[in-house]
Amino acid sequence: MLWRPRARRAARVAALGLAGALALGACDSGAIGNSGPGSNGQSFVSGSPGTTVYGGSSGPVAPRVAGTLLSGSKFTLAQDHGHVVVLNFWGSWCTPCRAEAPSLSRLAEHFTPSGVRFLGVDIRDSPATAEAFQRDFRIGYPSLNDPGDEIALDFRDTVPPAGIPTTLVIGRDGRIAARVIGEVSYPGLRGLISQALAQSA
Amino acid sequence: MTEVRVPAVTGLPDDAVAGRGSPAPVPRRRGPGGRGPFGTLDWARWGWRQLTSMRTALILLFLLALGSVPGSVLPQQGINPQAVQQYYAAHPALAPWLARFSLFNVFAAPWFAAIYLLLFLSLAGCVIPRTFRLAGSARQQPPRAPRNLSRLPLAVTMTSPLPPDAALARASALLAGKRFRVRTGDGWISAEKGYLREAGNLLFHLALLGLLAAVGMGGLFGYKADRLLVAGQSFGNTVTALDQFRPGRLVSASDLQPFSIALNSFSARYVASGPDMGQPAAFNAHLSYQGQPGAATQHYDLQVNHPLNVDNVKVYLIGHGYAPVFRVTDGTGHVVFNGPVPFIPVSLNGLTSEGVIKVPDAHPQQLGFAGVFLPTTVDVGGKLESAFPSPYRPAVSLVAYAGNLGMNSGVPQSVYQLDTAAMHKLPVKPRPLAPGQSVKLPGGMGTLTFTGYRQWISLAITYDPGQLPALIAAIAALAGLLISFLVRRRRVFVRAGPGTGGGATVEFGGLARTESSETFGAEFATLSRELSTALGAVAPSSDLPSSSNGRE
Repeated sequence: MLWRPRARRAARVAALGLAGALALGACDSGAIGNSGPGSNGQSFVSGSPGTTVYGGSSGPVAPRVAGTLLSGSKFTLAQDHGHVVVLNFWGSWCTPCRAEAPSLSRLAEHFTPSGVRFLGVDIRDSPATAEAFQRDFRIGYPSLNDPGDEIALDFRDTVPPAGIPTTLVIGRDGRIAARVIGEVSYPGLRGLISQALAQSA
Repeated sequence: MTEVRVPAVTGLPDDAVAGRGSPAPVPRRRGPGGRGPFGTLDWARWGWRQLTSMRTALILLFLLALGSVPGSVLPQQGINPQAVQQYYAAHPALAPWLARFSLFNVFAAPWFAAIYLLLFLSLAGCVIPRTFRLAGSARQQPPRAPRNLSRLPLAVTMTSPLPPDAALARASALLAGKRFRVRTGDGWISAEKGYLREAGNLLFHLALLGLLAAVGMGGLFGYKADRLLVAGQSFGNTVTALDQFRPGRLVSASDLQPFSIALNSFSARYVASGPDMGQPAAFNAHLSYQGQPGAATQHYDLQVNHPLNVDNVKVYLIGHGYAPVFRVTDGTGHVVFNGPVPFIPVSLNGLTSEGVIKVPDAHPQQLGFAGVFLPTTVDVGGKLESAFPSPYRPAVSLVAYAGNLGMNSGVPQSVYQLDTAAMHKLPVKPRPLAPGQSVKLPGGMGTLTFTGYRQWISLAITYDPGQLPALIAAIAALAGLLISFLVRRRRVFVRAGPGTGGGATVEFGGLARTESSETFGAEFATLSRELSTALGAVAPSSDLPSSSNGRE
């Protein structure tokens, strides 16, 4: 008399539902952090590498980026409204950042005449060390010094930099067009920048 | 409540009963599913019953514990990927086979997931139906009164001047007043008390489910992270700022609480004399923090075991050390390095610390330094040691290398280890540097100056949203368990039949459903006294079963 068939069925559905909710733990959502034997040592999170492209006219709007350049003067991203912007989070101590620096330098040389602005955000470096890096790799574009991670925090609601290095391509309308986590390749980033240039032309 | 299983009744052949006028034969029952001897539905039902049995749950629990053993013995990818790489280097033939069975990532392995999923399924499948059953039994009405109350373990007979109906009404009112659940019938009433026990049972089972859900929630939505912070530095809680990040399954970079913490200063006090000399007495990290960008800055003194609680995230002080500050000028005259370098303590007595300085942007060649920082330098038989952890006489002793650090290839390196495979040692006279002193590197490689020192702390950042719900569920489970042990179910019955002279003969019997009837005996005696007073009955006869009409 206690086990009416409908109650039994309801009980089973509830049990399966609960187990199903807990089973989300088994699904691999591509967790951020160290993964694979080739990943980093103990001092920074490289993130799971990959490129994400956002819908051109419906991508998230990039927040206002403002800070101090390595040279000491103030800078605001709004100055560049109307241009395609490539924002690269880097550090001189980060080995994938050093490996991608020549590609970024060449791409900057290639695209600056077309009006694309390159901007770096330097994490956990002193200005002297960062300037030495820029001299070494002949980086022609300026970088903001962000010791307190304020710029990274500004991006938390839109497209957060989920590791070092992270490169964001922001379109002319101020919307984020693409994000690359990990070392960029010359052809890959060139394609993304060309796409952004063609989009809001 | 035990389930009574009725064995399947096989019907008698038609012609055997046709002539006897007995009721129609019971049709033959084939199998529980009724679809054939034993169909797939019955197999599924059998499988479910096996899965939700307690034996299976215990076996799965044992397998879970067994499966965690390789997770503790072998280095794990998510915790220490460097150790995994070293294991690969040390066991080149064995390591790929271990990786095939996901033994370097046990807690994310599919077979481990299968074990705990089945365990959750088993527990939920056992507990949820029980919960429904308990909810049903908590709403049950008391059973009918037995015909012969004198057979009950506790029984009393009394005579009352009231007619039977009035006597029953009075008895019913009395029992209802004592919070019994009363059921009236024809010439009898039946009352039961102690349903709180079922409620306690119900609470225990629901709390158990809640505990499972809370632990699962913590594992899905929580995260742990580490960060080393030098005095004077600050950081914001983003993935780029953390040294290590171990997120739950459903945590992404935008889920991190956006607080920022700055370390203003760190002070440590050590025992200055006696047998414990050099042992730490107190650590105090003076922090200022903001709950989110633009919020007001607050201050907090972080100590060991007194974590900072910001936006439901707990920040613990885990360790500390020294970070000497260096300025390196390269061969071309540029300042190519200027900042603190955290050195890791290698001895607890005196906090001798080792560290590495990498200067990859120096010209003409990349530079690397490996050295030791001694807070209180003493010369013990020609060897330099640190006598006390406070910086009374700090000095740094370094070995210099030049060449290729291997950082430009993109292969990750630890910032605390120097790979000198492609470097040559520079012939520098080894001497300890005091703050302010510098060493000139030969061959026009540059100069290094030890400008000063700072202290660093390491923070452990943990966010576990399931902690408070788990505590509440555990307390509720204990409370439910206590209630179900302490509260007993007991039943009393009253039968009233016509007696002499228009009065009634009242039989009053009681039964405790659990074995401990000593306390019930006292309660029964009290009840029968009160009942006899209410009915105006003569003093009740003894507790032994007796015939009616006890005379005074």
